[in-house]
Amino acid sequence: MIAKKNRPYLFIAFLFALGAVMPVLLRQYHLNMLTEIIVFALYAVSYNLLLGYAGLLSFGHAMFFGMGAFTVAVSLIHIPGLSLWGAIGLAIAMTTVVGFVTGGLLLRHKGAYFALLTLAFNSLFCAVATKWHTVTGGDDGLSVTRPDLSLGFTTINMAGLTSFYYFTLVIIGAAIVFCWYFTQTAMGQTVLMMRENEERMKFLGYNTNISRLILFTFTGAVAGLAGAFYTLHFQFCSQSAISVDMTTTVLLMTFVGGTGTFWGPMMGALVYVVLQNYLSDITDRWPLFMGLIFVFMVLFIPGGLTQIIQYVRNLFSGRNGTDKSLAVKEGSS
Amino acid sequence: MKKIFGLAVLSVLLLALAVPAVAEDTIKIAAMEPLSGSFKDIGERYLDGVVYAAKVINENGGLLGKKVEVIPVDSELKPDVATRKAQNLILRDNVKFFCGGTGSSVGAAMEQLAERQNAIMISYGMAAASMTGEKCSKNFFRTCGNTDQQSYALAALVAKKGYKRVAIIAQDYSFGQEALAAFKRRLAKLNPSAEIVAELYHPAGTKDFAPYVSQLIAAKPDAIFTPNWGNDLTLLLKQGRPMGMKQVVLSYYINDEFTIQAMGDDSLMIGNMGAEVYTLSIPTDKNKEFVAKFYKDKGYYPTWLRGKSFMSTMFWAEAVKKAGTTDIPAVIKAWEGLTYDGPAGLWTMRACDHQAQVPFWYTEIVKENPFFKHAFEASAGMVPAEDVSVPCAETGCKMKK
Repeated sequence: MIAKKNRPYLFIAFLFALGAVMPVLLRQYHLNMLTEIIVFALYAVSYNLLLGYAGLLSFGHAMFFGMGAFTVAVSLIHIPGLSLWGAIGLAIAMTTVVGFVTGGLLLRHKGAYFALLTLAFNSLFCAVATKWHTVTGGDDGLSVTRPDLSLGFTTINMAGLTSFYYFTLVIIGAAIVFCWYFTQTAMGQTVLMMRENEERMKFLGYNTNISRLILFTFTGAVAGLAGAFYTLHFQFCSQSAISVDMTTTVLLMTFVGGTGTFWGPMMGALVYVVLQNYLSDITDRWPLFMGLIFVFMVLFIPGGLTQIIQYVRNLFSGRNGTDKSLAVKEGSS
Repeated sequence: MKKIFGLAVLSVLLLALAVPAVAEDTIKIAAMEPLSGSFKDIGERYLDGVVYAAKVINENGGLLGKKVEVIPVDSELKPDVATRKAQNLILRDNVKFFCGGTGSSVGAAMEQLAERQNAIMISYGMAAASMTGEKCSKNFFRTCGNTDQQSYALAALVAKKGYKRVAIIAQDYSFGQEALAAFKRRLAKLNPSAEIVAELYHPAGTKDFAPYVSQLIAAKPDAIFTPNWGNDLTLLLKQGRPMGMKQVVLSYYINDEFTIQAMGDDSLMIGNMGAEVYTLSIPTDKNKEFVAKFYKDKGYYPTWLRGKSFMSTMFWAEAVKKAGTTDIPAVIKAWEGLTYDGPAGLWTMRACDHQAQVPFWYTEIVKENPFFKHAFEASAGMVPAEDVSVPCAETGCKMKK
């Protein structure tokens, strides 16, 4: 019997191994989709750290995603010879700064005020991206070419799908694992307890404002990394990366997947991207169906896909309908 | 147990992705148009022309012995949506040919994608000069006029009519500015004595034109030039005419039947003039034959958008036929320098920037016309292709071969 403590690590190792063989199993079209799924999975995970863990409902997460996306696009165009690492590093640095500054302003308020303020900030960023034509390309967007990846001893051509897929798998995968690790740390647990009872935390001597700011900045930087890969994946970035639509997208992914667990939003990202691809082939009205699915999920299955999976698993293991409260975080998931 | 179950679900979902699609042996061309949203009517009319062209080609034995299949793609007028869908079509269905007419932003992004993916993008309506200028690419072909050519055609018309005092009004963004600059440049060359008496910019989407109209009237022009389109054209005329703006308006998009219908009052439109690469009223035998056949098949007329995308698709088919293969480098090579003698005269694809050299057709809006009950185009006159041509050296295009 494997020690319970090691299980998550084995699970992660298995996922990486599964990801590593995918280029052999999947055709280019699906590999392309899988790359997109991985990128959006990180975006959804970062959002869930805010929503699921800290209980902060933000309508402005796309400003970090878009900021990362635009930083990569603009820097690759304007700084000749910039390496892939440099561009990604810049994106993370930029979103960290933006996260820290906006977080400092936004986190003074709670609940609905916070939600509306984030929406306002997102709109502000989006307006700047649309109007600042000389830098962001406005409605035209920016086309970039992926630079080669320099590993010190060798250089890998990133033009192909497969090589970029592996790069994404490794970097984004590592980022997701880091996010999971973050939830296991004392800091991560503090965030959880803060959600449950902030007053008590204050009495115990924690500075909840600082903890929250750290979390906000952290999730911003993670979303920025996802945004950076979004630009690198599509080799294109336009104002829709920073628009409120992109916030709605991540909200949908997170809710469809379920906010109760760490892995739920990743499942949500998978379902969202797959559905989007298939639905938009069938009908031009695909956002309508996405909306219906969202409404259905929120009304009847508030725990998302995670809830369905848990229910089905309980059926199999014979424990009929012992519905564990989803709000309670389990250590390993 | 829990993890294993999660894994099973993940694996099943991933494997579900791998279901192969059935491939048919056709030559596929994807039409990237806004098929939803507020520009739907434009996208649908463009698409109509492409589909009709495919039908004509297929009825005449197909292309290289295969059927041409048109894949309609809703670009949503967003470059990111268009490129993402196009990328999927390339990877999944091996589509190599793309075309579109709405939104230069979509066009510019598609141009880059085509170059990366070794595909061909054809524009029959995206007009920003830069796409065959400084951004030009060997994988991009434009089979319609660009802003430079269209402004040149209208400047030629102004010079021909002998207007001495010209007022200009345009939307204040890149398209309006480019159109205006080209018009002024050309008019100064064709008729140096013509005077620009007013030059006004207004924000796109202006609701109240009264201040602009009074400035226009005060300048006492013989004619007014505007590249405005959509509501900015309709409102300019609707508000301007009653205020006493009686001059002829020369516009890019005056021959749009939807605009004329939306105006609701023919008297606002009669006398105005426009120029396009295709108008319904081109008086050549080839065009009359095309219009008659289209009307017989469809029950309505191939107005400008449909005509443009039809001819563009026929031109593309000629290039593929000449290449004898759908191999992209071969098609590019075959298309360069190729001519197409269609309903709107002789078109030549220039090798230096892949901008088709086309004649323009100017037309006046009149009450009596054989097409519609409302006012529409009078018989069109031609501005020859060489009169609207921008020399290779002036386009700013440095094509990588």
